[in-house]
Amino acid sequence: MEWDVVLESFPLIWKGASKTLSLFAWSLVAGTVLGLAVALMKLSSAKTLIWSATLFSWLFRGIPLLILLFYAFFALPEVGWLLSGFWAAVLGLSLWTAAYQAEVIRSGIIAVDQGQTEASDALGMTRSHSMRRIIIPQSIRIMVPPFTSNATTLLKQTSLATLVTVPEMTLLTQRIFSNNFKFIEPIFVLAMIYLAMTTVLIIGQLIVERTFRLRT
Amino acid sequence: MSPNVLVNVSGLHKSFGDAEVLRGMDFEVERGEVVAIIGPSGSGKTTMLRCVNLLERPSAGRIEVDGRILCEEQADGSMSFASKTEIRAVREHVGMVFQRFNLFPHFTAVENVIEAPMAVRGMKRADAQARALELLESVGLAHKADSYPLQLSGGQQQRVAIARALAMDPALMLFDEVTSSVDPELAGEILLVMKRLAQDGMTMLVVTHEMGFAAEVADRVLFIDHGLIVEEGPAQEVLGKPKHERTRSFLRAVLERAPMVEEEADDDAQASTL
Amino acid sequence: MELDWSVVTRAWDLLIDGTWVTLQLFAWSLLFATVLGLALALMRLSKYRVLRWVSLGYVWLFRGIPVLVALFFAFFVFGRQAGLSAFQAGVLGLGTSAAAYKAEIIRAGIMSVDPGQFEAAESLAMTRSRYMRRIIIPQGIRVMVPTYMSNTILVLKVSSVAVAIGIVELTGITRQLSNSTNRPIELFTAAAFIYLFLTTVLIVFQEFLERRFALKT
Repeated sequence: MEWDVVLESFPLIWKGASKTLSLFAWSLVAGTVLGLAVALMKLSSAKTLIWSATLFSWLFRGIPLLILLFYAFFALPEVGWLLSGFWAAVLGLSLWTAAYQAEVIRSGIIAVDQGQTEASDALGMTRSHSMRRIIIPQSIRIMVPPFTSNATTLLKQTSLATLVTVPEMTLLTQRIFSNNFKFIEPIFVLAMIYLAMTTVLIIGQLIVERTFRLRT
Repeated sequence: MSPNVLVNVSGLHKSFGDAEVLRGMDFEVERGEVVAIIGPSGSGKTTMLRCVNLLERPSAGRIEVDGRILCEEQADGSMSFASKTEIRAVREHVGMVFQRFNLFPHFTAVENVIEAPMAVRGMKRADAQARALELLESVGLAHKADSYPLQLSGGQQQRVAIARALAMDPALMLFDEVTSSVDPELAGEILLVMKRLAQDGMTMLVVTHEMGFAAEVADRVLFIDHGLIVEEGPAQEVLGKPKHERTRSFLRAVLERAPMVEEEADDDAQASTL
Repeated sequence: MELDWSVVTRAWDLLIDGTWVTLQLFAWSLLFATVLGLALALMRLSKYRVLRWVSLGYVWLFRGIPVLVALFFAFFVFGRQAGLSAFQAGVLGLGTSAAAYKAEIIRAGIMSVDPGQFEAAESLAMTRSRYMRRIIIPQGIRVMVPTYMSNTILVLKVSSVAVAIGIVELTGITRQLSNSTNRPIELFTAAAFIYLFLTTVLIVFQEFLERRFALKT
């Protein structure tokens, strides 16, 4: 491995980091909001809402992410929705991550002890009040690990945007090695950057867990 | 060690990290004896029992079981332990029954009982099964031979566990609070099996809270507190006329809840101490 | 905008060819990942610190980088040195990536077994290899089934990423067909349905396994 090539590649690849993080941020926010909606639909008592939510989850967890991205990029233009690679990727990534985060959110809410709801009811609280002040804070603590784990996966999956021409880190890496045929150095740099990013997320998760820990 | 002594423990110390749980114990168990070990929670009784078959490794001390040295202190102060093969050789002849039964949940009752004889003694399945059914019969569970542990009550599970330990034909049986995880009304069936075992001459070390059982079946009683043997002697003496104040206050607290042994009225005895 | 589903019927054979490649990729990488994952799990539980650290390092690395990057390594770096075909590189990339997850799943399964089971087996004088085989691992498998299977379903879907190194599996063939016939909606929908069918089969299989391994109460 030639270390000077490594040093050369780094700034070139790092330029793509902002695109990577941008894809990540947009999809995470959109996906979480959508996931929350789906989770609440699944927890509601309206049959149609429950069915739609279940259909959504089944669909977007059963189809590979890449197919979703290709759909957004190649198929939507046919119905008049011409999205750039970036927005097609954000759309695909958001829908995909929403399906998984919906499960995390739903499980988190359910996991909060039934007794908490009963105690709140017995104290005369309205459902929305007990949700807001009692249930959701506790469920957030439960949700943090799987949520972060999904978010970390989302970050890594932004690499697939390269296949719909988005100039994030992976595409820039490909440009380097298709030009100079030096493969190991740029791929190594790419791997190290991803590793650093995911490790930061893991550390972030530990910090959040510690903050939300129950005081004993 | 005289041939009559099955277990010889001296200078037993055990620490978990900074916490010293066993602070220097010496005791012996003779063949055919039933020794009950009583004491408050956290006193170290379970740890002490688990040292006898080396499920816990002592920090210091010497343990000899059935003529085999399990561990001892070297001249330089370090501890040496028997090899894995030697430990297994000892464990072949020491049966243990656990508080939470620890039956193998994916095996039926009879499969639980035959597993060790087949694996360790190389017994043929047919022979092992025949013996297993006999043992299950002796604990009153032959009709549940093909049941799985989760299909059995706590009392039944524990009796299967006893049969499983007996299948290896042990010289010594260790009982670790075997009725504590069982509904009170089911404890009796377990204690009955243990009583019969004692009557048949089995050497038994029993950690228990059941004072009635200790009074009726045990030859000797050891009272443990804070990692030390505070008092030991014949059952009737330790339970009926304890010499040490700590023994007395422990017994008072326990017997408050279920009077089992007739005590002479003691000037210090209060109706409610807790 | 009209849809012409006849494209799908005409392209059906090619789609099936692609599906077949997907299934082969899936099967081989699953096998690779499970065997390697088992080894990594046992290494992590070993008493030798070196083995524990190697296992930990491997898991950190392969869970920290995207599958695509692992595929690039397998194809452009390793594969070129070792003269691997694209398919072989694909299996290597997918397998090494998935192994990191399998390792954690298997380890969690083994660790979930009640320590009392170990103690009972030890007190009955059973050897470690015997009781690992007869008592511990069977119980660990029961606990592992849900996470193992859901990860396995993921392996199937992730096989689609192999298109990036030129393997013509289902996603790859669909993209080619869509480009040549200019009917992306119909073709990608067809591909989506095929994937949905395959994942649903796996889900049903998972439920079967969960029932089969459940403890009898």
